[in-house]
Order: sequence, then structure tokens, then C-alpha cells
Amino acid sequence: MSANRLTCEEAFRRLDDYLDRELGPGETAEVRRHLEVCAMCAGEFGIEAEVLDAVREKLRRIAAPPDLMAAISAKLAAARQSEG
Amino acid sequence: MVASHLARGIFSLGRRHLRRIGSLPRGTMAQPTRDAQRATEFEALLEPILAGAYGLALQLTRNRADAEDLVQEAALLAFRGFEGFERGTNFRAWFFRILTNTFLSGRRKRRPEAEAVPFEDVPVAYMQRQAREIASAEQAGDLVRAVLGKLETEEVTAAIEALPEEFRLVAALYFVRDSSYQEISEILGIPVGTVRSRLHRGRRLLQKRLWQIAQDHGLVAGAAPGEGRTG
Ligand SMILES: [Zn+2]
Repeated sequence: MSANRLTCEEAFRRLDDYLDRELGPGETAEVRRHLEVCAMCAGEFGIEAEVLDAVREKLRRIAAPPDLMAAISAKLAAARQSEG
Repeated sequence: MVASHLARGIFSLGRRHLRRIGSLPRGTMAQPTRDAQRATEFEALLEPILAGAYGLALQLTRNRADAEDLVQEAALLAFRGFEGFERGTNFRAWFFRILTNTFLSGRRKRRPEAEAVPFEDVPVAYMQRQAREIASAEQAGDLVRAVLGKLETEEVTAAIEALPEEFRLVAALYFVRDSSYQEISEILGIPVGTVRSRLHRGRRLLQKRLWQIAQDHGLVAGAAPGEGRTG
């Protein structure tokens, strides 16, 4: 069991894939096991996840220009008309 | 027999459409009505994802006017291919794919030369590393959190826009779409392994830019978070 315990460095090498849920179930479990016993890595992984969430959250605040939908509607109407 | 939600949709379409239908010559009513319904359905699906589509377009084109044009062009193409959209599947994914492809094919025509990508190896967890140089290990996390809290959407957008293109495309799809590596690979037509390495490197570059922007704007000054500046 302890044979396949990850070191901090090995856990960190899997950080990006782990946060993106791109690791297989085995490796995911290994990283999770490390984070359960290593407060330092757990803290650092947590901050990295927060960085990604913060970027996503800021980007979600971008609003479409107010007249964009109307411009699209008009364009589609014009296209329908020209296509007969 | 028109379902009530569809009727509501048609009425919320606006007078422009109704007027247009009303002004068509006789004998063509059946076709335009079906077309109008198709447009209503399409627009009802598009409207809730329009902000996301515009956000993605903004990061791809890096300017507002081009982003608007891109969304409009993609909407027109998507509407023409709407028959091919399988009802009940993910419209957002379908439309974002068309948007990205529209951008890529337009860009190839306009600017065929490849952008040289300067190799810059930024370490993982860049912000935390920087924070630890000016704050204690215990406070580094709070400092990063405080800096993130102060960064504006415009600053984050600028940081993504400043990424070399091969990283920018992957990062835009990742952050705006919440796409898996597999989805990004399918949209951009590059292997999953390439998506992974570009995304991982792009994120580190992004952290570095964000940190630089935060420093330039005086958001990092004063290593003790929560003191002084109130945003
Ligand atoms: Zn550790």
C-alpha cells in the first residue's frame, strides 16, 4: 500500500490533470490519498483550483453587446428572405 | 395546433418578423411561417448562450468589433446548418464549435503566416510561488486570493489576449466553454496530448501575466492582504 504513495513532487506533477479531472481513476485516487495526508499540497492544490475558478468567474461576467441579438435576428431574417 | 411555448416564442420575436411575414406575396405563406418558426427556435437557443459566445469570440479575435462580426457570421452559418443540429443535444457545444471553426477559417485567409511562439518556461503555481516570496507560507494563499479578488474582468481578458495564439485558442475554449481536453482536441483538430501540454503551459503563462498585471496596477503592493487598498 505504502509502496505507491506519491511524493509531494509526484503529486504536483499531476496537479493540472487532477484539477481538470483528466486523470484515470487509479491516479486520481493516488493524488487524493496524498492530499488527505499532506496539508501543504492540499493547500496549494486548493489555491490553484481557486485561481482557475476565479478566471472562469471573471470571464463569465462578459456581457454581449446589447444590440447583438437584434443584429443577428435581422441578419437571419435577411438571409431567409434572400434564400426565398 | 401551435404549442403554447412556440406561440409565446413567436410573439416575443418582435414586430419586425411578423411584419415581414405579413408583407410576403400570397401563396408563399406556408414556407415563411415554417422558416420563421425555425428562426424562433434557433434564436431561443442562441440567446442564453450569446454572452458566452461573445466572450469566446472576444478572446479569439482580441477586439470587440471583430468579435461581434464573428458571432454574427457564426450565427448565420449555424442557422443555415440548423437542420444538422440534433435536437436535444448540446446546442452550446455545437454553436461554439461553429464559432471556433469560423474564426479559424477566416483567420487562415486573412493571416496565413504562423505566429512564432516564444518558449517561456513558467513554473507551475506561479502566483503562489511569487506570493511566497513576499509573504509567509501561511499567508501566501491569502495574498493570491486577495489579488484574484481585485483583478477585473478586463484585466483577465487582457492577460488571455496577450497569450501566444496556440495557447490562447486552447485557453479560451477551456475557460469559456469548460471543455474537456477531448472536446478541445475535436474542435481545434489537434491531438489531446497537444491540448494538454498547451493548456498546462498556457495556464502558467496566464498566471505570470496576471501577476504582472496585478503588480503593474499596484494590486500586489503591500504584502499584507486586507490592508490598505479596498479595490
Ligand atoms: Zn505533499
